[in-house]
Amino acid sequence: MNAMADSAFKSKKFNMRSVYTDYLIMLLAPCYMAFHYYGWRSLLVIAVSVASALITDTLAGLVINKKISFGNPVCIFAGAAIALMMPINVPLYVPVFASFFAVAVVMMPFGSSENAPFVPAAAGFAFASVCFKEQVFSYTVGSQDTVFGTESLGSMLMKGSSVHIGTANVFDILVGNVAGPMGTGCILLMVACALYLLVRRPESLLSTVGFIAACILTVILFPRVTASVRSNLLPELCSGSLMFAAIFLITDPVTLPRKNLNKIFYGTLCGLLCMAMRRMGAYEETVCFAVILANALRPIFDSAIDNMPKIGKKSPRKEVTE
Amino acid sequence: MNADISFKDALKKGALIYNPVLVQLVGLCPIIAASSTFIQALMLSAAMFLELTVVCVIASALFKNLPRWIRVPVYFIIGLALICPALYAIETYSLNDISLGMKIYLPLTAVNSVVAVHCEQFSVKNSVKLAFYDAVASGIGISAIFLITGAVREILGKASFAGISINLPITFKGMALPFGCLILLGFLAALLKAFTAKYHPQTEETEEEKEKESESVEQSAPETETPVEEAVAPDPVYSAEADLDDFLRSLGIELPEEEDDKK
Repeated sequence: MNAMADSAFKSKKFNMRSVYTDYLIMLLAPCYMAFHYYGWRSLLVIAVSVASALITDTLAGLVINKKISFGNPVCIFAGAAIALMMPINVPLYVPVFASFFAVAVVMMPFGSSENAPFVPAAAGFAFASVCFKEQVFSYTVGSQDTVFGTESLGSMLMKGSSVHIGTANVFDILVGNVAGPMGTGCILLMVACALYLLVRRPESLLSTVGFIAACILTVILFPRVTASVRSNLLPELCSGSLMFAAIFLITDPVTLPRKNLNKIFYGTLCGLLCMAMRRMGAYEETVCFAVILANALRPIFDSAIDNMPKIGKKSPRKEVTE
Repeated sequence: MNADISFKDALKKGALIYNPVLVQLVGLCPIIAASSTFIQALMLSAAMFLELTVVCVIASALFKNLPRWIRVPVYFIIGLALICPALYAIETYSLNDISLGMKIYLPLTAVNSVVAVHCEQFSVKNSVKLAFYDAVASGIGISAIFLITGAVREILGKASFAGISINLPITFKGMALPFGCLILLGFLAALLKAFTAKYHPQTEETEEEKEKESESVEQSAPETETPVEEAVAPDPVYSAEADLDDFLRSLGIELPEEEDDKK
């Protein structure tokens, strides 16, 4: 557990509040897009999820005799991120229990959010995916796009249906006007968030680069649909919460490795696991499972990378003494 | 454990403070994989309880002088002899739902680590009475955890209890899966730790002492396959003499002091 807690956050002594304030600022953009597409209901889901996370944090603090701090930014971030990965028509109890799980099971048993070995939002969404699969992956409210309707890109790819990519619906896909999670589909906004992160914390984007590169490579080498590379690549990268996870979950400062090379490998591992689970798993959205699994494996491959022999560095020769 | 320990003390320590599942972390596999319903948990806990009690008593009565490398396989053979009738009964009465739910874990109860650990750590080093107390207490502790996890997982994961459906507005399917059981066991272990720290704080010291003792035994024990009790047990002649002296003194007979002290 010490190895798992030996994160970038602990080693570099970030100011947690300022780091997560950056993430909350970035989250405003997908929140606005959710409101733009789905109206007040989206804000209600987000508010309920955040409230659940904060209440759980307060109650858990009382149970373990911890100093209670209202408005913990980590809890706000986890609650909002979980809500944004849900469909708009999700029953309200689903984000409530997902946020409860994220705080009570993933964060609090380890003392605080600084020691959590897993990304709380990813764990919360994974819990909801397993327990409430029908509710989490049913998109009865669809897009305005006549091609896709209420069928999400992830669902189409899972069934092996080829996605008709035309000029009109490429734009719909890029702006998130397709059936899917309410706040994670707008790829253009995700790019804007990545640029913000590039300015504020550029080193954390190394994991994002590794993640996206691994996803692209996997799609090119092992396409799920027998169609052109373009018809595979765009829906794969834009479906579900893949890009959202690449910007918000994988770059989580608490679980991110310390060294830059390890960050790239961590992201690559996440990408490979995500695409492998998409092909072989039972769930439409697998990125959260991949993040959790990579969190668990991180100490192992961290030490493996650290112990690798350095290429190009010659071992010092023993002096021959006569 | 002292020779004059009461059953109540044995029960408190074996079932609660040193619970085999929550503290010693043995026997996790059948609990996690096969106790997803109350009935399955009941069957498995009954099998485990029976096997643990019988094998520990037999080990304490008969196997003290056997070498260790023979003892452990013999435990498993006896366990298998006990479990086989249960398997035949399940097949005879065609309880397919239960047997399918428990998969391979009911037959595997025969070779469970709980039995080997308790027999080797306690039974072969103590009297039959104490071995029986320890086995019963540990069996109750294991069964309690089996039943609690089975009941909670069935209620939360399947909205039913012992096959009878319950009207619950929400079910958590994940609780019926192994990860749900692991989380539940984690919280139960935390609760037990909090309980022990509050009501039995002295057990923390005892654990440290036990660790030190086990370390010293490991250091002093030779690398050959010598049984552990042979390395730590006192000289039998000396203990018999001491017991006789105590017995004579208790009758009021004055004994001369030892010659070594006079010299």
